[in-house]
Amino acid sequence: MGTSVQVTPLCGVYNENPLSYLVSIDGFNILIDCGWNDHFHPQLLQPLSRVASTIDAVLLSHSDTLHLGALPYAMKQFGLSAPVYATEPVFRLGLLTMYDHYLSRKQVSEFDLFTLDDIDSAFQNVTRLTYSQNCHLSGKGEGIVIAPHVAGHLLGGTVWKITKDGEDVIYAVDFNHRKERHLNGTVLESFVRPAVLITDAYNALSNQPYRRQRDQEFLDAILNTLRGNGNVLLPVDTAGRVLELLLILEQHWEQHHLTFPIFFLTYVSSSTVDYVKSFLEWMSDSIAKSFEHTRDNAFLLKHVTLLINKSELENVPEGPKVVLASMASLEVGFSHDIFVEWAVDARNLVLFTERGQFGTRARMLQADPPPKAVKVTLSKRVPLVGEELAAYEEEQEKIKKEEALKATLVKEEESKAVVGADVGKTDPMLIDGHTKADGGGVRGEAYRDVLIDGFVPTSSVAPMFPFYDKTSEWDDFGEVINPDDYVIRDEDMDMGSMPMGGDLDGKLDENTASLMLDTTPSKVVSSELTVQIKCSLVYMDFEGRSDGRSIKSILSHVAPLKLVLVHGSAEATEHLKQHCLKHVCPHVYAPQIEETIDVTSDLCAYKVQLSEKLMSNVLFKKLGDYEIAWIDSEIEKTEGGSLSSLPLSTAPPPHKSVLVGDLKMADFKQFLSSKGIPVEFSGGALRCGEYVTLRKVGDASQKGGAAAIQQIVIEGLLCEEYYKIREYLYSQFYSL
Amino acid sequence: MGSSGGQSLKRRDSTLTRESDVMTITPLGAGSEVGRSCVFMTFKGKTIMFDCGIHPGFSGMAALPYFDEIDPSTIDLLLITHFHLDHAASLPYFLEKTTFKGRVFMTHATKAIYKLLLSDFVKVSKVSVEDMLFDEQDILRSMDKIEVIDFHQTLEVNGIRFWCYTAGHVLGAAMFMVDIAGVRVLYTGDYSREEDRHLRAAELPQFSPDVCIIEATYGVQLHQPRHIREKRFTDVIHSTVAQGGRVLIPAFALGRSQELLLILDEYWSNHPELHNVPIYYASPLAKRCMAVYQTYINAMNERIRNQFANSNPFDFKHISPLKSIDEFNDVGPSVVMASPGSLQSGLSRQLFDKWCAEKKNACLIPGYVVEGTLAKTIINEPKEVTLMNGLTAPLNMQVHYISFSAHADSAQTTTFLEELMPPNIILVHGEANEMGRLKQKLVTHFTDRNTKLYTPKNCQSVEMPFNVEKMAKTIGKLAEQTPDNGENVSGLLVRKGFSYQIIAPDDLHVFSQLLTANVTQRITIPYSGAFGVIKHRLKQIYESVDSVPDEETGVLTLRVHERVTVRQDSENHLSLQWTADPISDMVSDSVVALVLNASREMPKVVEEVVKDEGVEEVKKGEKIIHALLLNLFGNVKYGEDGRLVITVDDSVAYLDKQTGEVEGENEGLKERVKVAFRRIQTAVKPIPGSGI
Repeated sequence: MGTSVQVTPLCGVYNENPLSYLVSIDGFNILIDCGWNDHFHPQLLQPLSRVASTIDAVLLSHSDTLHLGALPYAMKQFGLSAPVYATEPVFRLGLLTMYDHYLSRKQVSEFDLFTLDDIDSAFQNVTRLTYSQNCHLSGKGEGIVIAPHVAGHLLGGTVWKITKDGEDVIYAVDFNHRKERHLNGTVLESFVRPAVLITDAYNALSNQPYRRQRDQEFLDAILNTLRGNGNVLLPVDTAGRVLELLLILEQHWEQHHLTFPIFFLTYVSSSTVDYVKSFLEWMSDSIAKSFEHTRDNAFLLKHVTLLINKSELENVPEGPKVVLASMASLEVGFSHDIFVEWAVDARNLVLFTERGQFGTRARMLQADPPPKAVKVTLSKRVPLVGEELAAYEEEQEKIKKEEALKATLVKEEESKAVVGADVGKTDPMLIDGHTKADGGGVRGEAYRDVLIDGFVPTSSVAPMFPFYDKTSEWDDFGEVINPDDYVIRDEDMDMGSMPMGGDLDGKLDENTASLMLDTTPSKVVSSELTVQIKCSLVYMDFEGRSDGRSIKSILSHVAPLKLVLVHGSAEATEHLKQHCLKHVCPHVYAPQIEETIDVTSDLCAYKVQLSEKLMSNVLFKKLGDYEIAWIDSEIEKTEGGSLSSLPLSTAPPPHKSVLVGDLKMADFKQFLSSKGIPVEFSGGALRCGEYVTLRKVGDASQKGGAAAIQQIVIEGLLCEEYYKIREYLYSQFYSL
Repeated sequence: MGSSGGQSLKRRDSTLTRESDVMTITPLGAGSEVGRSCVFMTFKGKTIMFDCGIHPGFSGMAALPYFDEIDPSTIDLLLITHFHLDHAASLPYFLEKTTFKGRVFMTHATKAIYKLLLSDFVKVSKVSVEDMLFDEQDILRSMDKIEVIDFHQTLEVNGIRFWCYTAGHVLGAAMFMVDIAGVRVLYTGDYSREEDRHLRAAELPQFSPDVCIIEATYGVQLHQPRHIREKRFTDVIHSTVAQGGRVLIPAFALGRSQELLLILDEYWSNHPELHNVPIYYASPLAKRCMAVYQTYINAMNERIRNQFANSNPFDFKHISPLKSIDEFNDVGPSVVMASPGSLQSGLSRQLFDKWCAEKKNACLIPGYVVEGTLAKTIINEPKEVTLMNGLTAPLNMQVHYISFSAHADSAQTTTFLEELMPPNIILVHGEANEMGRLKQKLVTHFTDRNTKLYTPKNCQSVEMPFNVEKMAKTIGKLAEQTPDNGENVSGLLVRKGFSYQIIAPDDLHVFSQLLTANVTQRITIPYSGAFGVIKHRLKQIYESVDSVPDEETGVLTLRVHERVTVRQDSENHLSLQWTADPISDMVSDSVVALVLNASREMPKVVEEVVKDEGVEEVKKGEKIIHALLLNLFGNVKYGEDGRLVITVDDSVAYLDKQTGEVEGENEGLKERVKVAFRRIQTAVKPIPGSGI
């Protein structure tokens, strides 16, 4: 019997909530995706919390919060400690996305669900895989092979293929079959007849215009606003779909020599683009090709200015501009702040490129007709002054002293360890950030010292110290906040902890560094106000997901033996379920949250050895990738219990002949006309010559079930032509 | 080991059966030599070629591997390990000027540098146009044919599964693992198990291969620890420039030179006293490749990736580029790194010619040098050298050989093989003597294991038999019950790549993309006679002819042997319907013939129709049988018990007409009567269903 497979959704079924599903294969529990929404509602994670400790592996498919947002929280709060697998871009960009979300939240609230350190440690143990790398799990998961495949949608986006004993379980959500500027289309269609396919119904009801037309509308909308002296705000994600938008704008600006400034504003924008530049392997063929030929990196953006701070944007001279700001939900972050400022001007345009998450401000604004006004909470971090500041500084001073003492101790230890390592002190290579970083997984003084040594030659370290010293004070500072003072951790300090991720984050842009130097203590001040919306609001689908029609055709091509539908509104899920039941396969499931469904394949199978004697008489006929033959064999059981097939000792019994082949009427028409027979379609039938008609009966698109046997009817008058055409028809098949 | 070389290789390919279980591995280059790496292998009808290099010691056609030994059109897959000329430079030739039509793979970084490197190679080659193997256009065209593979990515081409591991040798260098029907072959290319300033060490593959084709460049030599080599390197340079001398480092433009530059740049930053001594890097090519080095940091080690966070480590502070010798202001001590490493031509040779007579100058050879090049010659410190202009000059400059080439040494090779434990090892890419020594060493090392070691020369084939069990998976309806000993299993055997499945025809579409079809045929025949005639006629021929009323119209139809349905459509037409398969087609043909005949002989038949069937019929049959037997044997009488008594000469045989049994003393007669009766039976009686 086949491998036992159970699927339990933990979040994100019959609605657009974040994705999180438990797939259990022969008792090995795999958590696929670990998403959270932009509100970070802990109650969404209730089901996850109940099973977190039993999870044996975590697979991440995309780098946005909907697919991995809850990872740090689950690792910290639920005791999730399983190894995590993801592609390199999902890992990197996912990390940056989490930083960005944290910083945006922290900016306006006392966000305490997780910290930057939690993010770092959650991502520390991610095993990075490349596309179609077969990763053999060991231990409890022995025999299971996982492999990420191209999903489209986001950079590094993954369709997971989990294989055990030759049976495939495929998890494909948010895939895109269309090739885009920076991404290749998904390879989902290359998988055929997997045992189980888990996919989403998110887009089952939507249809997209052609890309060219959509791009044109997009650019027109932006340029019209700019020419009308208005500003354009694109609320985007941190490091996902925004890349495609950046390329569209960059290319258009380049081609038309436009001078309107474009700004990409997230807390991690420069790191994002730097990393993306080194991910060419993961992008589309055309990007790789242009790099090979011209060595021009597509993400060497000439027209886009990367900003990590809103004040920089305020310094920009007045005039029409395009701003891509993160936090597409408009709940918090830069996009929220800019929206509040710009919404009141009728010249401005807020262009949504993705559907807002359910219950967010973005979703509200995308309603038709849009609301006339929205209530917003304007929160701001302000520096401490007067007494508050004095109290804070006193506290700081104390910590600083302790820190310094500790630092020297650790430093000494460090240098001892280094001498111990058998490398000459004169050799600059001994300062190997890598080896030490391994030991430095623990946060703290030692770690930061390592970082310095690793990066800069000893002689030039000195000038760097003040900068790092300051950041080093921070780490423990969090513990000594005096609640009476209403003092909370400094935002810029938070920024500082990013590079502390050292081996993880690595890339630290200079802007961020300078920002870190600004370590004024601060607090959050909030005020509520109502914003009159005068600007235009437009939604265009740049989500990079296959639309309903394509999903259906892909599903019927993949034709899984069993299909599990998740993630999508109840309506869309039901619609797709009905469609698939009719056209894809008879086993379609759409489980509720925490409802475990058993999709163990009911296939029977046994292995048998093909003896040389038998094989030497088999004549294969080639059909595409397949070779096929009819065999009659006698089974012999060997002593070990394994089966071996031998040629029959007696004459083979007769069998009904089998015609194998796929007749496409259109192709056959061509074939016939190439043979000089006049053919035409009329009323669904193919009229060949004067007297013969050929018809295909039954729904050809339907697979699964008995109907997959093609029924072809050839009728005609008794004449020579009839036999000729029959001969041609037979030539399209192999008769076995 | 196979010993046949030369022409026999091609012939054998064609005569061997397609499904050969013998793996043949033939180096077409780099067999007991260094340079022009190219290894050809066939197994189970699949053909793979690893690498496609040129020999740096030769030019033109002579530098190519022995391509004429093989038929390039049979190759399914060509895998290039890294961008070095001796591994990749004959690729444009092979892709554009031969019948090769398979697929080519290399890593992203290799492909990006390959183009730059070969374009440069074409430019600096001093050979005449006729000797040119390919031009710039060929390289550009070849770029379109080359596909990319990422490390660890598993791909499948034509049933061959393959993936690659980090090899550590240069940026993008890969070791390829190929899996054909479960037999794995590892081709290391050039590899190094030592992590350096920018590259990772070669990985240890997760699976042990059945055959390991491994480089033996350094034979039994052992590398000094890296930091000692680095110290020697910097010391020589430091002391030479301190004495006012010039240092020439002939190095290959890409790959190891980046490592040396990293060392030099770092050394200079740490020694301010040297800041007035310029370091030149005479390679515009390397400058062009910098974008590649900056992009594919994910192929490098953690150290570089961390440094990259601060600034680009390949943005050298103390090293300036030098375009040509004319720009070079040779006034005082300096360090020049110039290509090519072989000192055969180009800038490095120009500088060498200029500096070789001066005693305080030094030439530092940083990597492996190929036999037959000037670099190899000067390592032995001859008294005189021949300059490019043909004159001879004394060789006074210091020559140092400090190897930084990232090839595995004997210790690395031994450990690597020990951990992999391949049952078959093939040594390539090594000078014959060195290789022999390494072989000896490995033989002693692996003496207790059943390891086979081969060191084939170019065009010498190594043949290894592999018995791969073919396992088929029986699935679906056929597998509902696991059969017992002696039971029969019949079904469709479907092969895809090297996996087999046995499937019931009904299940075919479930487990594969293949579809089965039913073809229903309906043919209309003009016939204006009575339907009954047809029925009668059919009954004469076929045993089972059933009259069934049509479900919809109630019209009477005839079913012949449950296969062919005959129906009277209208006054003047009959229609035949059946599902296509060879036998039904035959039956339908006979029905068609019968109907056509019937319409022609209408009047006669009509009379017969009215005749009673049944007893008449039987009697008539008996009569015919009797008459026919009479014709054959002469004396045939009815016996008392209803049997026929056949008397021929003195022998008598008794024939039972019902059972067909014959009794009699004469065996010969008995047999004859039996056969005759059987034949008469089949001729006279309708065709029974089982007979078809």
